[in-house]
Amino acid sequence: MVGENGAGKSTLIKVLVGAYKRNSGEIYFNHQKAEFDSPAQAFQNGINVIYQENSLIPQLTVIQNIFLGTEYFTPFGLIDEKKIYQEYLYISKKLGFELPPHEEARNLGVAEQKLVEILKALIHKTKFIIMDEPTASLSKNEIEHLFRIISELKSNHISILYITHILGEVFRIADRITVLRDGKKIKTVFTKEVNRDEVITMMVGESLKNAYTSPPTTRGKKSQQPILKVENLQRKPRVNGVSFEAYPGEVLGITGLMGAGKTELSRLIFGADKLGGGQILVNDKPVRFHSPLDAVNQGISLVPEDRKKDALVLMLELYKNITLPTLAQFVNKGVISSGKEFDTTRQYIKKLDIKTSGVNQVVKYLSGGNQQKVAISKWLQTEPKVLILDEPTRGIDVNAKVEIYNIVGKLAESGVCVIFVSSEVSEVVKVSDRILVLSRGKISGEFKQGVSQEEIMRIILQADK
Amino acid sequence: MNKKINFNAQVYSIKKNGILFIFILLCVFLSIITPGFLSWANILNILRQSSIIGVMAIGTTFVIIGAGFDISVGSLLALTAAMCVGLQNYMHWSLAILLVLMVGALVGLLNGFLAAKIHIPAIIATLGTMTIVRGLVYLYTGGYPLYVEAPDFAFIGNGYLGPIPFPVVILVIMVALWQFILVRTRFGRYACALGGNKEAVRLSGVKVDYYHILTFVVGGLMAAMAGIIYAARLLSVTPLAGQGYELDAIAATVIGGTSVSGGEGSVVRTLVGVLLLNIIANVFNLLGIHIYVQYVIKGAIILSAVGFDTYSKFRE
Repeated sequence: MVGENGAGKSTLIKVLVGAYKRNSGEIYFNHQKAEFDSPAQAFQNGINVIYQENSLIPQLTVIQNIFLGTEYFTPFGLIDEKKIYQEYLYISKKLGFELPPHEEARNLGVAEQKLVEILKALIHKTKFIIMDEPTASLSKNEIEHLFRIISELKSNHISILYITHILGEVFRIADRITVLRDGKKIKTVFTKEVNRDEVITMMVGESLKNAYTSPPTTRGKKSQQPILKVENLQRKPRVNGVSFEAYPGEVLGITGLMGAGKTELSRLIFGADKLGGGQILVNDKPVRFHSPLDAVNQGISLVPEDRKKDALVLMLELYKNITLPTLAQFVNKGVISSGKEFDTTRQYIKKLDIKTSGVNQVVKYLSGGNQQKVAISKWLQTEPKVLILDEPTRGIDVNAKVEIYNIVGKLAESGVCVIFVSSEVSEVVKVSDRILVLSRGKISGEFKQGVSQEEIMRIILQADK
Repeated sequence: MNKKINFNAQVYSIKKNGILFIFILLCVFLSIITPGFLSWANILNILRQSSIIGVMAIGTTFVIIGAGFDISVGSLLALTAAMCVGLQNYMHWSLAILLVLMVGALVGLLNGFLAAKIHIPAIIATLGTMTIVRGLVYLYTGGYPLYVEAPDFAFIGNGYLGPIPFPVVILVIMVALWQFILVRTRFGRYACALGGNKEAVRLSGVKVDYYHILTFVVGGLMAAMAGIIYAARLLSVTPLAGQGYELDAIAATVIGGTSVSGGEGSVVRTLVGVLLLNIIANVFNLLGIHIYVQYVIKGAIILSAVGFDTYSKFRE
């Protein structure tokens, strides 16, 4: 199932398994009318959902998470650890998974956690698995692995509803494609009978979509003096001595595998975490950031990786989120002028094409791509000199991605130094003037614009050995 | 998509204003079945009875909006009331009031520090200070009631401004003032925002700990003000004063629709919550219903109010 953000994919899934109440309509499962009051009930009937977000219990071990709710018991009613472990070994061997069974889930990387969830779905005798963007946080190898598992499941007569933004994946694994748009089904087609462009047209509608063009050659450093310089930044264990310079008017891409230290590095530069060692210089002057506020005052902004957790106050209205870092600008003699806030918010709604019912809409109800635009808007208002975007396109659809790329391009042209952090090499190659590769908390390569994706992948994989 | 948005907006506004609706309905209903209810004297009586908890609940509202919790305010009321009476042996009553307000703010500061900086869960932090402060009350009073005779000071609790009791005047002014601060100032905005998602607000370059602590300071300050009204009303303070007041203040706050998990709330609606609780008590008294039964019903009201909030969020 494909569709743009806000097409209603996630909502549909939640209605399907009873997480949301439906207004009308009927659901048939195994030729029978199904009525699920909760995901648990759907699950007992053989429908399993792997959500975008992790749903593991952090304090439980891998094996405890996998068997949660389906533990084996001894005749005395105690948990039969031995039998569970044997079952675990059997299945993980069969599927070729290698996970530390007794590690607590919170100590795993994001990708590993996703694998645990998949394993958990598989171990329950599920007939129908719904995967909501399962590859969003997986590395290339892990994705390959997942695809192998999916085809194995298929041969075992298990049906899979695979939801994604990534058309390449769809064409690799799907037999049929259903396209959603604006909460309605557009069409269901056999994969063999369509090509990519046809599907894209179905997804976006008739309007021609603005494809992203490579950065103009006129762009690039606006000055020989770096706006930001970091020397030997450290915070063990993820960041182990990183040095680089960033210039006004350039897009500096930073890429690497999951867990290479990209997010940690971004947070260090922004003063969100304590520096373990090294130095940050803004305009060649050493600075010390005790909190994000200090970084903001030096013109550095960060759009964090995790929108919902770190970037937005979901229960608050659009305008309150956008003016959060710059509220002082809207205060006159101690009193907030809401009119001014509304005006500014409307400017950004227009400028970034945020799809919303108005300035008063609660951010929780926006789609992922639009939430990301809100997170970016609030920093644009601070007129940053350095804007760090950490995985800005994660979990948002193709269309919104292109829009984000365009925003990045415009910012750089206006003289902002954009640091574009992403584990998607293809997009880093597309938007960046210069690219740094991070491996195990160190810079393992630097490239100019025009470098091929393969070249970067090679460096990433080499350094990680 | 649009339908969904509108639907959510509706739920939002029902939740926001439902309490006001219920309140008005109740008043109409009660004025019909209880003859004395709508009399001027009874209305003023209800308002005056609401003034002490009402002022205290303003602070509680700020604390809960900031995703905190403060159960020390009942003890703090006792301490500040006792000091307000006791200090008048040494100084003018106006000076005593000033000092007592500072004590309230200081205890609030301590609560905020423990919660925001030391990261003790707020309910436990204030459980600690509640116990300490109650101990201080006994130490200060020696375990005996304190009395004061000061007609000027008594005006705060017993005087009238025109036809309106002075405590009611204080209550109305304070509600208006703090509602304004909540909605129209940076402190109010940040209090809501950090109650909703403290980390996101921190990463927006806001001094979150400062504002988080400030919500507790407001809690302490308002408890002290309630203590002053209490002392001026009764002109005597026993060491047991204010016990359970914190629970009434919290109950009124959540009945007024302030989210228990922080992020949204309103001082005005908290006032409605206080009035609602008092009116029910008032009517029960008029109808001659036993106090024991009243407790049971009050508890049920709290559960329904909070249950409505949490369950509607859950269904989302």
